[in-house]
Amino acid sequence: MKHPRICQRILLASVCLVAGAAFAAEPEDIIKYRQNVMKANGAHMAAAGAIINGKVDFKGQLGDHAKALQVINKDINSLFPKDSDFGETKALDAVWKHSADFQKRARDSAQKADALARTVAAGDSKNYGARFKELSDSCKACHKDFRKEEQ
Amino acid sequence: MLFAHKRFVLLAGLLFAAPLAAAADASPTDPVRQGEYVYRAAGCYGCHTDEKHAGKPLAGGHALATPFGTFYTPNITPDPETGIGRWSEQDFLRALREGLSPAGDHYYPSFPYPSYTKLTDDDLRALWAYIKVQPAVKQTNRKHDLKWFARARSLVGSWKSLYFTPGAYVPDAKKSAAWNRGAYLAEAAAHCGECHTPRSALGGIKNGMHYAGTRDGPENSVVPNITPDRKTGIGRWRASELAEYLETGMTPDGDSAGDLMAEVIDNGLKYLRKEDRAAIAEYVLSLPPVEHSVRKAKKPVKKEEFE
Repeated sequence: MKHPRICQRILLASVCLVAGAAFAAEPEDIIKYRQNVMKANGAHMAAAGAIINGKVDFKGQLGDHAKALQVINKDINSLFPKDSDFGETKALDAVWKHSADFQKRARDSAQKADALARTVAAGDSKNYGARFKELSDSCKACHKDFRKEEQ
Repeated sequence: MLFAHKRFVLLAGLLFAAPLAAAADASPTDPVRQGEYVYRAAGCYGCHTDEKHAGKPLAGGHALATPFGTFYTPNITPDPETGIGRWSEQDFLRALREGLSPAGDHYYPSFPYPSYTKLTDDDLRALWAYIKVQPAVKQTNRKHDLKWFARARSLVGSWKSLYFTPGAYVPDAKKSAAWNRGAYLAEAAAHCGECHTPRSALGGIKNGMHYAGTRDGPENSVVPNITPDRKTGIGRWRASELAEYLETGMTPDGDSAGDLMAEVIDNGLKYLRKEDRAAIAEYVLSLPPVEHSVRKAKKPVKKEEFE
């Protein structure tokens, strides 16, 4: 019983290795992926905001949204590899040209999302609003300098 | 009642330490403070400051790329040589009401005087009181870089006779005070239509397309349709959501404003009183919906084509 499973694993691993070595995503697919991750980011922002601002009463779910935001924002910069600057993207050249500034902004968002998740985990409800606003401002600050409004 | 209460909680939750401060408790007797409020609502800083190149506030030099060429905004600090330090209050009022320089030259309507003409005398005087006490910065104006057909400034006179109606905003007696306040702020001060309304080939505002968005916005941006059309505009937004957006920049979908609108919010609209943002939202969502998509057609771009 054990033997075939090991074989399977070895086979799977070698397939992965070969695939990995040959793997080069199409820029358009990277852009689409990035946009989908960002949409998820926005959706969790809207959902968390609605709870924090008292529009809806799904308090039990706030922790999940905050954790999702923390995970998604951990490394926004990694969503912008070189060569993903052509095509249907609103990302400005500045993302790559002023890479250090962009990375700083991305780190800021990571920190702000982290702070929100910790505050929610600690149940420190009087600070939910402030942490949320800081994260929202961080998103806006980056969009202001690095995203073109094109549609 | 319930609605009003909810909105209160929500705004109270969002405001925190926001520097809405000074402007919010402007006393009508202090023209400088009133002027600061007008200055925020009118967005003077955004265009007259070259923030991208760390320019000093109001010293000009901000490039505005348009279909007519690139305009470089002028220095409006009180520096006597390079700014407007030698202007009288009358010069200032005439510039904003009539689009004329102290020497009587026409200003290009990239300076949104077709909107500012709608400001009340009281607000215009207050704005002057505020502008003239700002720090003077010595910075020479940069010449506009316009396309050949836009170079003759005298043509602006003909443009004005076609598209420019001077005069202060006249309230609509049939509408509420809040609606009129919103209309005044949106049309006269915040000049939303200068970017959000499409223009004809001659640069005039297109009739029947008020706030319907354009692909030819300033700085090559695509400016969204903000009429209450449900498909192509913001007809699905509630007034409270729009008012929130004007403060925080977050859309009902959780997206964040970027680009020029982030600038308009960060340097202006977020400093307004919350009832003023609510009034703008009420006004904008009361406008006739216009179905007009500004989405760009899909253009397949391959990297190879650029190499």
